[in-house]
Amino acid sequence: MNKTATQLLGITLILLLAQVIVLNHVCLFGVAVPFAFIYVLLRLPVTMNQNWVLTVGFFMGLLIDIFSDTQGMNALACTILVMFRKPVLRLYFPREDELTDTLPSISSLGFIIYMKYALSMSLIYCGLIFIIEAFSLFNFLTLLLRIISSTILTTLLLIGIDSLTLRRREKRL
Amino acid sequence: MQNLIRFLIKYGTWMLFILYVLISCSLLFNNNPYQHSVFLTSANSVSTGVYNASNSVTSYFNLRDINEDLQRNNADLELQLLSLKAELRKYREQEYADSVPVDSALSRYKFVIAHVINQTTTRPHNYITIEKGSLDGIQPEMGVVDQNGVVGIVNVTGPHSARVISLLNNNLRISCKIKRSQQVGSLVWDGRNSQEAVLEELPRHATFSKGDTVVTSGYSTAFPEGVPVGVVLGLMKDYDENFYALRIKLFTDFSTLSTVRVISDGMKSELENLEQQDPEKESE
Repeated sequence: MNKTATQLLGITLILLLAQVIVLNHVCLFGVAVPFAFIYVLLRLPVTMNQNWVLTVGFFMGLLIDIFSDTQGMNALACTILVMFRKPVLRLYFPREDELTDTLPSISSLGFIIYMKYALSMSLIYCGLIFIIEAFSLFNFLTLLLRIISSTILTTLLLIGIDSLTLRRREKRL
Repeated sequence: MQNLIRFLIKYGTWMLFILYVLISCSLLFNNNPYQHSVFLTSANSVSTGVYNASNSVTSYFNLRDINEDLQRNNADLELQLLSLKAELRKYREQEYADSVPVDSALSRYKFVIAHVINQTTTRPHNYITIEKGSLDGIQPEMGVVDQNGVVGIVNVTGPHSARVISLLNNNLRISCKIKRSQQVGSLVWDGRNSQEAVLEELPRHATFSKGDTVVTSGYSTAFPEGVPVGVVLGLMKDYDENFYALRIKLFTDFSTLSTVRVISDGMKSELENLEQQDPEKESE
């Protein structure tokens, strides 16, 4: 547990920095923004107390907000996102007890299920973020385009990050 | 009370969720940016540190663009500078023309003011290019002076430009005299130093002392008599056995030459006719 906790903390730090320094400035084709840091929220152990999950989600979002000067936007989206975590996971993987690893990843869920999981979570997150953003500036077509393209980009990124950490763990074993 | 605790335990997660959502929304819809706490913006010390660190790396990525911008900016400014300089030069020229004293003795001469556009001082044969030519009344063999002293003699003229043989040229000899004793010699440059020249062919009985002023003799039509040339630095030994040779410190600073006066002699053609006619008449 301790090892996984430190590993998770390390990933959190790296992704936070990467998001703040690099990814926040990426805007592919002027629409697609990658949100890599939600990988941490996807990866939190299934057995973790929901209150803790909520707290982690909120503060994660708040940190991103602090760095990118978006008051409360990411905090709100993250809080809502982590509430969706369990239902979404249950939807694709009903038998929670059969999980070999409490951390949701490609190796524990299988590639297809993980991809569905990541896609749904990215869709929820991007949808939330851009809808919250659209409160001030509404243009339905652009909004849709931004949500879809960002979702695809984020999903790809999530799967990429997960396969990276997976390989690292296999090497260790 | 017990019910309330049970309720809180049962729906604790939802309570927490609602709390967080409320906090987020209060941040989100707090529209007045001046009321934001500094800790919740990127102005706090941690995020400033992170951004500074990343900026110290990423700022190099844009150097190329910034450089191009600066170059463009620089070019624009330079163009502006040039046009302003041209304007300034125009006014300065007017002022310069007004400041030239029209002496009755010099009424024979007229001045054309010109700007040096190219010159060398380092070669054995130096030339100066000025931006006035035959259309401005400049002809070959006119003398060129600046505010300090002699500069050279016009050599070739185009319609809008002319080449001047600089005093710093071995091929140019100018008839000069020592102002105090009126002894005449010939000034030539020895190619060593752009601030010094040699006054040769001075008779051995000439008297001079260090610091005497050397002026043009007026024996040619190029320069009127008395245009300052330089001061005597000293005698050059072993230069010529039959004549004295003096080292002269030139008044003209050739390295900062910019505005010059070209001297046009109104009596030049008359004098030349006179000098050419005489031997012809004798031969007749």
